[in-house]
Amino acid sequence: MYDLIIIGGGPAGVAAGVYAARKKIKALVIAENFGGQSVVSAGIENWIGAKSLSGFDFARNLEEHLRAQEDLEIMDGDRVVRIEKNGDHFIATTAQGKNLETKTIFVGSGSRRRTLGVPGEKEFNGKGVAYCATCDAPIFKNKVVAVVGGGNAGLESVRDLIPYASKIFLLNRSAELKGDPITQEKIRASEKVQIILNATTKEIYGQNSVTGIKYADAKSGEIKDLLVSGVFVEIGSMPNTDFLQGLVELNPFGEMVVDHKTQSSSLTGIWGAGDVTDVIYKQNNISAGDAIKAVLNINDYLHKKK
Amino acid sequence: MKNIKIYSTPTCVYCKMAKEFFKKHNVAYTEHNVAEDDAAREEMINKTHQLGVPVIDVDGEVFVGFNRSELEKAIGVK
Repeated sequence: MYDLIIIGGGPAGVAAGVYAARKKIKALVIAENFGGQSVVSAGIENWIGAKSLSGFDFARNLEEHLRAQEDLEIMDGDRVVRIEKNGDHFIATTAQGKNLETKTIFVGSGSRRRTLGVPGEKEFNGKGVAYCATCDAPIFKNKVVAVVGGGNAGLESVRDLIPYASKIFLLNRSAELKGDPITQEKIRASEKVQIILNATTKEIYGQNSVTGIKYADAKSGEIKDLLVSGVFVEIGSMPNTDFLQGLVELNPFGEMVVDHKTQSSSLTGIWGAGDVTDVIYKQNNISAGDAIKAVLNINDYLHKKK
Repeated sequence: MKNIKIYSTPTCVYCKMAKEFFKKHNVAYTEHNVAEDDAAREEMINKTHQLGVPVIDVDGEVFVGFNRSELEKAIGVK
């Protein structure tokens, strides 16, 4: 029986692990991988204490810091798929079928990319449908592409594609782009970029790989067709709370509702921090800080129980 | 010895992770930077229809993305 199981290897999970080790809590960290969503970032310039580091180095630093802790168990490459309450403790089941008993749980499972959910998106994943312009932009050299989403991530994808693609359509669902004006200016300055507003994506199609995208003009309802070789999807994120359904309170966005003073969930014994929770600001530094709040509160809880 | 090819771009973190993985296991590989090498890019797209990196070819078996446990099986460590 563990005192604490920590779910996640991003800034929240790692901060929780480091503090649990320092408090001599008998803890296990279950992390599918390390670094969280920033791992694909070309440069992180707001992680306090580091002027600039790549997402890759950020992930490696987190993993090294966690592994440097004595008496902390780490299970990587696996993830929790179910939690059951059993009397005054919990049983966590992993994807690889392990059942682990624990007195408390810290959830730092973060969030994942939101997908469009239109025909063709899954079928052509990696075959023209892409979710990382930083990674894949050069592959679309001299090709026509579409970017779906006019938030910062969408605008940055357009910016990453400008040096490579021959033409970039930016499809935005509402009447105006939500991303920062400074990035908007940059992409509007390129002749390669065409912004299409009020566009609801309907279908991605192709044969061996993507050849086009269909969207509806929200005003006229008319279906329009663009011939493209690639579709970059940047429409925000969804919290990883599938395994918490029916166990703790989730808000309408699927985020875990926590008490922002202690980070405890609606169910005694479960805490959480970071992008998986209903925290307003999704930031690496906040995830780490909130995770530390959680572990200090978990430590108090475990001592009171003894 | 297995013949391993990695199709990558310099800005792709999962490519870096895959390369570190092979280095850690002392497994040799050849890298093709598809951002610069037009022929390699065409080869990758034609062979796999993949338009995302990394694409990793282990003796003809093609892996898309970096999946540590699949690659461990493919190179026979673990």
